[in-house]
Amino acid sequence: MVRLFRGLWCVNQRVDQWRAMRAIHEALRVAYPFILVMALIDVVGQGCLSKSGFFFQVYHIGSWLPGLEFWRDILQAVSVVVNGLVAVMIAFTTGHYMARTYHADALTVGLMSALAFLTLNVNYDTFGQTSHGNDLAQFWMPNLGPQGIFLAILVGLGVGWLASHLMQGLATWWRHHRHTSLSWTGRVAWSLTIVLGATVGIGYGLSWLTDGGINDLVYLALQTLNTNPGHNGLRILLVTSVSNGLWWLGLIGPIDVAGNSSVTSLQNLAYAVQHGSGWGAPHAITLHTLGDAYANFGGAGMTLALLIAIWIGSRQASYRRVATQTVLPNLVNLNESTLLGLPVLFNPILLVPFVLAPAVNIVLAWTAITLKLVPPIVYPVPRTTPGPLVAYLGTGGDWRALLLSGLCLTISVLIYLPFVRLLNTEGGADHAA
Amino acid sequence: MRRSWWRWALLIVVILAVFIPSQVWLKQRVTKYKSSYKTPLAPTIMVPGSSASQNRFDTLITQLRKETKKSHSVLKVKVAESGAISYTGNIRQGDNHPFIVIAFENNRDGYANINKQAKWLNLAFKDLVKTYHFNHFSMLGHSNGGLILSLFTEKYLAQTKHVTPDRLMTIATPYNMESDSTTKQTAILRELIKGRSKLPKKLTVYSVAGTENYSSDGTVPANSVNQGKYVFQNQVAHYTQITVTGDDTTHSDLPQNKQIVLLIRQYLLKETLPSKDRVPTTKRSQSKEADEMGLP
Repeated sequence: MVRLFRGLWCVNQRVDQWRAMRAIHEALRVAYPFILVMALIDVVGQGCLSKSGFFFQVYHIGSWLPGLEFWRDILQAVSVVVNGLVAVMIAFTTGHYMARTYHADALTVGLMSALAFLTLNVNYDTFGQTSHGNDLAQFWMPNLGPQGIFLAILVGLGVGWLASHLMQGLATWWRHHRHTSLSWTGRVAWSLTIVLGATVGIGYGLSWLTDGGINDLVYLALQTLNTNPGHNGLRILLVTSVSNGLWWLGLIGPIDVAGNSSVTSLQNLAYAVQHGSGWGAPHAITLHTLGDAYANFGGAGMTLALLIAIWIGSRQASYRRVATQTVLPNLVNLNESTLLGLPVLFNPILLVPFVLAPAVNIVLAWTAITLKLVPPIVYPVPRTTPGPLVAYLGTGGDWRALLLSGLCLTISVLIYLPFVRLLNTEGGADHAA
Repeated sequence: MRRSWWRWALLIVVILAVFIPSQVWLKQRVTKYKSSYKTPLAPTIMVPGSSASQNRFDTLITQLRKETKKSHSVLKVKVAESGAISYTGNIRQGDNHPFIVIAFENNRDGYANINKQAKWLNLAFKDLVKTYHFNHFSMLGHSNGGLILSLFTEKYLAQTKHVTPDRLMTIATPYNMESDSTTKQTAILRELIKGRSKLPKKLTVYSVAGTENYSSDGTVPANSVNQGKYVFQNQVAHYTQITVTGDDTTHSDLPQNKQIVLLIRQYLLKETLPSKDRVPTTKRSQSKEADEMGLP
């Protein structure tokens, strides 16, 4: 065990030395406040004002809040701008910090990388449209939001590297052959042309392959692997673990776990309505009854447990701060701000509990449901229901389910705790510098 | 130390503020799901008129089977005077829209007999619900069968909790018995009007009349069929009267009349008919049924 931790620690130190890693960390650090604001807006928007929001339903907000539509529209507007473009921001900051490590013109490279990211998500289908038939957006909007973070980081790193070298290389080449120095405009313009030429080429080529931009290709491949894991506990475990691993990479949400309206859930609901409870429901073991109910507190990776573990065991001021700031979004299962803020993304130490904790919970839930200690969840619950309450409400108020939720949370905290303590020793050099 | 005490108190307050309302919400939701849930099984209960047996609708059913692609299975029920129930036929596994024909050993005409038959119908109905666990259904009554179904809906249906009728179609049902009068009400009409407030508010009713001439289908006066409006109008969700003329419109031919078979398919069984067969009277949305599930 100790050796494992020491190994992890070494990996972590090694990875932290990488230029790309440092750029990513810096990029996420800059993007974090924006993402935090977005997350808090989403808590209000999705949790309190949306018709399917947990607090909206529980507190009957629709019946006493005046001007509901107005508030919804306002928040929607802010959310569309900040949430909808978060990946573009990250492409910019990653490119920016990557260029900085090469001592290139960081601002320019950042802008280039944001533009390059956008060209990869252009919707080529709209170009044939007449100006009046304005029914398609010119970009693949979903890919510019949290979904696109992974691609944004890749593009930021790639363009940051390429553009920095191009600008320097062009200047040298020009001096050698023309014996005058290339103007700053010239350097930027030529590099931009080359970078955009490359990304447009890639984007256009891919538009022949898929209908949803480059991001869609990745998601499609993953979805076909994982959409329907069926009733097999082992497969559900595998799918959840793979999914969580992808979240850790920044591929957020390729597998839609919240399966309230899938056929199996509806059949379970029908059964429960006829028989009064979920005992003996036809589909007791599904991704929904295991994963959504017991392994998704705070969102993918049981991040609610991570926050509690940080409160208990972390001495890192920045960690404690992020944990406190993002607890509200985590309560309604919107954990993007935690993932990007700590960051959990690309953190080799946190990868282990991030995948392990949900997996252990799924095994626990599977055991409990199979041994008929708790009934499976059968009633639909809002996506923004606080994690530990999902199972309780979903079973129609079964105390044993609440107890199991508490057990799952405790165990997850215990799983996270040693890793969080391990991170305490980090940063002597990094954070002081 | 004092600060941490405050934190714990705050935590507990927050937990309670979320937990207690969610408890209330949970109760409401579960009840809502229970009340809005509809079983996939939704039979059509058919009741023949006086002097007819449980085989009265055979021609109609053969015709329906021929025309529709789905072959509805048929369960025939006969209630003896003692209340004993005998079954023939069966509901095929997987058939969610079977026909159930309910007939009575005592199938004589007259106020007292019809009232008895409504009571027997209730016995059979309760037994069916207990056996097949459906919670909504449709009704088709020919002649006095429509009276029996109407009486049953007013007087006895409430005894079976959580079961609601979707649609009722009566064919040539004499709401005012043999009387041609538009002012004098017979005993059965008076009784139906007296109990009309007990009709389910969401029920949709179609009353089909056939006429050989301007006043009758040869047995039942058109005026008597028209009196149905005093029972249903302004009581149920929709009440529609339809008059069919032409070939095969004598009283006993009506259940197998081509036009009426189409009406049954379109309105009672809610089939989507090819446009050439559709009766272009009212506009209705086909998708409404799906919305009523009330699921997110």
